[in-house]
Amino acid sequence: MEVNKEPTGRKMKLNERSVAHYATCDSPPDKTGFLFKKGERNTAYHRRWFVLKGNMLFYFEERDGREPIGVIVLEGCTVELCESAEEFAFAIKFECAKARVYKMAAESQAAMESWVKALSRASFDYMRLVVKELERQLEEFLEAAGGVCAGAPQGKPKSSRRHQVARSRSGASSSSSSSSSLSSSSSSVVAPAQRGLQDEVQLSSGSSRENGVAWSKPAIGLVNGCPEGAASSSAAWEGGAEPGNAAAYGADGARAPPVPPRRRGASLESPVSPGTGCFSKLHDWYGKEVEELRVQWLQSQ
Amino acid sequence: MRFNEKELVFLSRQPSEMAAELGMRGPKKGDVVKRRLVKLVVNFLFYFRPDEEEPVGALLLEQCRVERDDSQTFSIVFLDEAERRYLFECDSEEECGKWIDSIIKASYEFMRRNLIFYRTEIHRLTGKDPLEQYGISDETRFQVSNGLQLMPRDTSSL
Repeated sequence: MEVNKEPTGRKMKLNERSVAHYATCDSPPDKTGFLFKKGERNTAYHRRWFVLKGNMLFYFEERDGREPIGVIVLEGCTVELCESAEEFAFAIKFECAKARVYKMAAESQAAMESWVKALSRASFDYMRLVVKELERQLEEFLEAAGGVCAGAPQGKPKSSRRHQVARSRSGASSSSSSSSSLSSSSSSVVAPAQRGLQDEVQLSSGSSRENGVAWSKPAIGLVNGCPEGAASSSAAWEGGAEPGNAAAYGADGARAPPVPPRRRGASLESPVSPGTGCFSKLHDWYGKEVEELRVQWLQSQ
Repeated sequence: MRFNEKELVFLSRQPSEMAAELGMRGPKKGDVVKRRLVKLVVNFLFYFRPDEEEPVGALLLEQCRVERDDSQTFSIVFLDEAERRYLFECDSEEECGKWIDSIIKASYEFMRRNLIFYRTEIHRLTGKDPLEQYGISDETRFQVSNGLQLMPRDTSSL
């Protein structure tokens, strides 16, 4: 098996076995299919089976390959249509000096467009951006709907929350444009949707990535486990896990989803304190509370 | 397995969520604790010799578990090889806690689950899909039922 080695210096280590496991484990891929990939040394295109998961693009020799022969880490890349003798060609490009350009070709126009769209939004930064936006929306709704519904559980002033959102990273790569990771893709295929999100979301205007701490003080409290009502779980989010608290945090789907903001100074009785981790009870509680307010809110829109 | 090392090295130079010098011990028998500059960038944990610019290595933080070993020590364990632990020694209990929190949140899959939660919650509360206005409702990565195992909950409002 070939090894991509720098001419000087040691090859960087990677937890390759676990990375390969991520490729083949049962977490659902974002996209799969055959693509032609241009070889590094020779100019021939090789047909490979590609699996996109998160910001990792794996490729296999065969569709039923047990192990990927390689992976392209997509963080910071841009995807472009490109001029090529090859039909339905596109390229994955990176910002770093002497970066390799990955030339690819799909098997149809539709497949090409679909891949370009999927790959250009595969970054961690993009996912984070959308999460932050939804988090903000939920917060806004609960504040507007409630008044008694609190915003940040830690009592952060609203301005700093806004600031926090505004400081979200503008893009995976420090592209020269001041736009988001979405519009860093120059593919015309995906332009309309990108502009939409770009318009809506307040983004940092700087082109460089902020050294922001994305999650350390989330505006909305997040909890860990569920049914046992681990009261300490929300504390885990806010400052660090207590010793002996919920030792294992499975990253494999075994965690409860985060809960909406805590309420402060509630004038309504609640059957369950927001401090518990019991998601379904909290769900019902919020549901009862906001149903009426929701109607009012919708009418006011 | 081939990977785009150059680009990964470039990524390791980007601003990070967290960076600190920690004691780090590799997973192999006989590995000892060494001082490493540990840096969290997106879903990668890079580790450098303290005086070097290029990382010794990187850990992709998907399909892993973070465990607290004692008040100042945590381990990262990958689900496919539970016996192999990457151990990290922090300078304080607080620092240890912050690292654990940050690493858990550093997984793409973790963020995806959060997104799905917010999406369905907003939809439940407002009757509107919040992604629709951005034209990204149909993106595979945002789908509620693409096989992800969600916590048991009522989805009848969807």
